[in-house]
Amino acid sequence: MLRAISKKICLLGDFAVGKTSLMRRFVYDLFSDKYISTIGVKVSRKTVAVPDAGGVVELTMMLWDLGGGDEFERVRPSYLRGAAGAVLVCDLTRPETLARLRDYAGELRAISPAASLVLAANKSDLADGRQLTPAQVESAAADLAAPHYLTSARTGEGVEGLFRHLARLLVA
Amino acid sequence: MIPRGHDVDSTVAEHILGDLGVAYAITDAGFNVVQESGSVDILWERPESCLGRCLIDCVPELVGCEDLLADVLAGDLPRFELAWANRETADGQTLYLTIVLLPYRHPSGRDSGLVYVVQDVSDMGLVDRQLAQSRNELRLLQEQLTRQNLELAAANAELRRLDKMKSAFVSVAAHELRTPLAPIRGYLEVLLDEDVGHLNAEQREYLEILRRSVQRLLVLTHNLLDATRIETGRVELVLRPADLSALIESVVAEHSAQVEARAQRLEVQLSPGLPPALCDEARAVQIVGNLLSNAVKYTPPGGRIDVTLAPAGEAGFLEVSVADTGVGIPPEDHPKLFERFFRSSSAVIARATGAGLGLYITRSLVELHGGRIWFESEPGEGSVFHVTFPVAGLHAAPASSSAPSDP
Repeated sequence: MLRAISKKICLLGDFAVGKTSLMRRFVYDLFSDKYISTIGVKVSRKTVAVPDAGGVVELTMMLWDLGGGDEFERVRPSYLRGAAGAVLVCDLTRPETLARLRDYAGELRAISPAASLVLAANKSDLADGRQLTPAQVESAAADLAAPHYLTSARTGEGVEGLFRHLARLLVA
Repeated sequence: MIPRGHDVDSTVAEHILGDLGVAYAITDAGFNVVQESGSVDILWERPESCLGRCLIDCVPELVGCEDLLADVLAGDLPRFELAWANRETADGQTLYLTIVLLPYRHPSGRDSGLVYVVQDVSDMGLVDRQLAQSRNELRLLQEQLTRQNLELAAANAELRRLDKMKSAFVSVAAHELRTPLAPIRGYLEVLLDEDVGHLNAEQREYLEILRRSVQRLLVLTHNLLDATRIETGRVELVLRPADLSALIESVVAEHSAQVEARAQRLEVQLSPGLPPALCDEARAVQIVGNLLSNAVKYTPPGGRIDVTLAPAGEAGFLEVSVADTGVGIPPEDHPKLFERFFRSSSAVIARATGAGLGLYITRSLVELHGGRIWFESEPGEGSVFHVTFPVAGLHAAPASSSAPSDP
């Protein structure tokens, strides 16, 4: 039996960690090196088929790519309302972006306590500049009770797996 | 002819809203669109009418917000606003929209629903995005600089630690080398004085070679110890008024044998009636001795050396100059000449021995006295080294380390 549902998913994290790039890689299979700041929110969608006990669920993921940083702190709660899940994104070359994920997760859970989380440790292709160890990422993900993936929007590493994992959590 | 009444007001309102980039739609209680006004390009995700369709199906930003819409409809939430919603147009441009949801009550009180209002704020949005872009790029640079500063600080700390270890090692090594040199020199003197038996010419020659080598080793260990004392700030000067003329004459006398051995001509010119200098006498001897020793080493046999003492160009200082007609110093070596362990290529030409510490120590000692050191040199033309000492009674004592001297 085919069931069709839509879920709102927010991409959260500091500025320039690669939220827009992850979303573009997943939805359009595109990547650009040029950094363009996102202000506000850009909603994109992608429909994936997720098997569950009763058959297959056609899940439309409404992906909310939110501007990162403190400037949107005031309006972010209005963006988070109704979110069923979130991708928490940090940059492996900037350790402080991992530490900040706790704040973003706290903000989301205050509005949507049941939201499912996954953590993307992004820019895994920048091996030379890596400042975070896999153990640090693992530890932070465990604290947030979120499965984690090392991702690269540039190469596509881990991106599909990350979003598919979240899709399964949303359907379960 | 201009229409009258309600129609006129309505048309004017539409114009004003259009001019402000505002469009709106009204839904029934089931969120189905029953009226729309203004540009469909900003109202809906796709540029086509949504009359009769569910509002949520036409506005992606409202997916997942069903509860919120119900709250607005029921009046539990007076309004809901979503700022800076990005929409991409067919030609790839980004529109920035402000979305507002309000409860709608028909004047008759029969129907209720939602008013969905959209305002195009792209002009402001584009400026804001440029500001955000610049701000974020600056922050990234700042983060990068902070990280680099931390890395540099850590590297510096490690270098300081290694430098300290090196200084400690050099100091210990120099001490250990110096200790056995004293008895070696003592017994050499006994042998050369023939206190324990007659020496033939060959034996004497070999022992003289040994004595010169021991002397060189002593100078080296002494310099190494001085260099580590300077690096660790453990040089203490005992500053007293001293007669530089007498001091120079004694240094010259000490070197006369070497000068004679190399058939060099040494001239000394001491200005009469000079005031005493404020200096540590032993260190001043070392300073002048180093300069004179270098002049002897770098001047070929038969060359000329001039030592002069006169008032310095800078008031309140005396200037000692040592000029030679030696090999000179190539210009590329000038900036490094006072660095630790630097050996100029002229040392190879002159076959001069040394560890490259003499001028480093000399400069450090001169500066500890509050004086200056400089030189002029041309390859093949010789060199002139100048040092200044403060005149006694005119200056406060220069800063020097207060720690006790190394034993």
